[in-house]
Amino acid sequence: MDSLTYAFFGLGLVAVILSVIMLFARTPITGALSLLGIMLTIAGMYGLMQEHFIAAIQLVVYAGAVMVLFIFSIMLLNLKKEVLDFKLMSPSFLGTLVACVGLFVLLVSQLGLHFESYNYLVPQGQFTPQAVVDLGGNTKVLAHALFSQYYLSFEVISLALLVAIISAVVLAKRKFD
Amino acid sequence: MTLFDFIQLFAKIAVVLGFALTSVPFLVWFERRGSAWMQGRVGPNRVGPFGLLQSVADVLKLFTKESFIPGHVNKFFYVLAPVIALAAPVGALMVIPFGSHVIVFGQKIVLQIAEIDSGLIFLLAFAGLEVYPVILGGWASHNKYTVLGSLRGSSQMVSYEISMGMSILSMLIIYGTFNLQEMVFWQSEKIFGFIPYWGVVVNPIGALIFFIAIFAETNRLPFDLPEGDSEIVGGYHIEYGAMKFGMFFLAEYVAMVMASALISTMFFGGFGLLPGFASLVEFVGTFTSGSPETVQNIQAVFEFVSLLLKVGFFLFVFVWVRWTLPRFRFDQLMDLGWKILFPLSFVNLIVIILVSHFFVK
Repeated sequence: MDSLTYAFFGLGLVAVILSVIMLFARTPITGALSLLGIMLTIAGMYGLMQEHFIAAIQLVVYAGAVMVLFIFSIMLLNLKKEVLDFKLMSPSFLGTLVACVGLFVLLVSQLGLHFESYNYLVPQGQFTPQAVVDLGGNTKVLAHALFSQYYLSFEVISLALLVAIISAVVLAKRKFD
Repeated sequence: MTLFDFIQLFAKIAVVLGFALTSVPFLVWFERRGSAWMQGRVGPNRVGPFGLLQSVADVLKLFTKESFIPGHVNKFFYVLAPVIALAAPVGALMVIPFGSHVIVFGQKIVLQIAEIDSGLIFLLAFAGLEVYPVILGGWASHNKYTVLGSLRGSSQMVSYEISMGMSILSMLIIYGTFNLQEMVFWQSEKIFGFIPYWGVVVNPIGALIFFIAIFAETNRLPFDLPEGDSEIVGGYHIEYGAMKFGMFFLAEYVAMVMASALISTMFFGGFGLLPGFASLVEFVGTFTSGSPETVQNIQAVFEFVSLLLKVGFFLFVFVWVRWTLPRFRFDQLMDLGWKILFPLSFVNLIVIILVSHFFVK
């Protein structure tokens, strides 16, 4: 393994630790900021995989826009009650915790068993790193794929976003009328 | 990664960081002397020649002060905020190309720390992170003035990011690439043989919108509402002292350097040679062996100097505007952002799309 692989696994470890912090955070802002940290580490992992465009989009959309809104609203609302209501030692929480840990251990053990089988069961796709470079770089290949082969799905997804915006406006309007 | 790759990467990082960080004391000195000059005062002139060492004395003072954390703050986020403040603009500097390439020991070294395809989006991503120190610093300080400052700051930065993005988008339509190096090469031609074919000539309205938006993004006057000294004391960093305040201060100036580098790369030819520099390269070339490698290296040096001169000019404009225009009121700022710049940038984008679709092959 070279140094980049170590960096990749290091980032993955940081992301896992931050997700645990996010789940157990007592204040909403700690949770939101750990989520931001997860977004940043995942962007770093994309960058290490040479997917710079996805990494940058991850930063722009999640770190630059979504999380700003989260933290902005948390700051404005200044949630104090939620901090007091949460108890680490309640039976329902402990039950959920045990179930989650069990599920996680099972998943990891299955992953360990079948990790190597990926290499010979799944056929190699046409976009190898060298092919992507020959076609004019990551961004260009992605743009061509999005706006030719997957054009319909791309537009339908944007329609789904539009539906979300309109429903948010309708809900907000009903409250004020 | 071979040893040569590692050393050249390290050298590039050292050059960029070195120039960005060491320019800050001079910039602070220039800001003070410049403001004094514009207002008919004397300015700092006691420490060193022309008061040049005043900033060094200030930094020494900040370093030797007691690093004090007030009791009522949220300690972790209070310490984290200045770190992010400095990290975001320094990270953004990583994709700015500062020369075409040099040839050392027969190997080609591209003068850009991160040679990535989507450089411009990367820059935008790091510019987007500059909101967090304002929000975090203000929130963690638990002070009414800091919260007011951070609310103002975040809403201002989020609103102006839209028109900034629109003007960047119009330039992307023109250049047809995210790669900052290719953008500079696109701008290297000349109209009628003497007017440089810069982005500002092609898209002047986009350049103007971008220029205004960048002032709001770096929190400089006339848009320094997050700090607004006369209204909310010092805004989001009132509760900070010693070097933690120093880092916010440093971050503001590094963000200015980054913004100047970005605007010169996108709209003013970047590292492309300034008019007249091409003959200078030939002139210096006559004193050497004249091999292609040497000429290329000399040209790279002059390209770096051209970029430095352009960045220096925009830094001067930043200081000039700060001491010329008064601060906007908050509603005026929002009106300008949402009712003038946003529609204007949108119309500009549509015009650019139509023109480039119908008149450019």
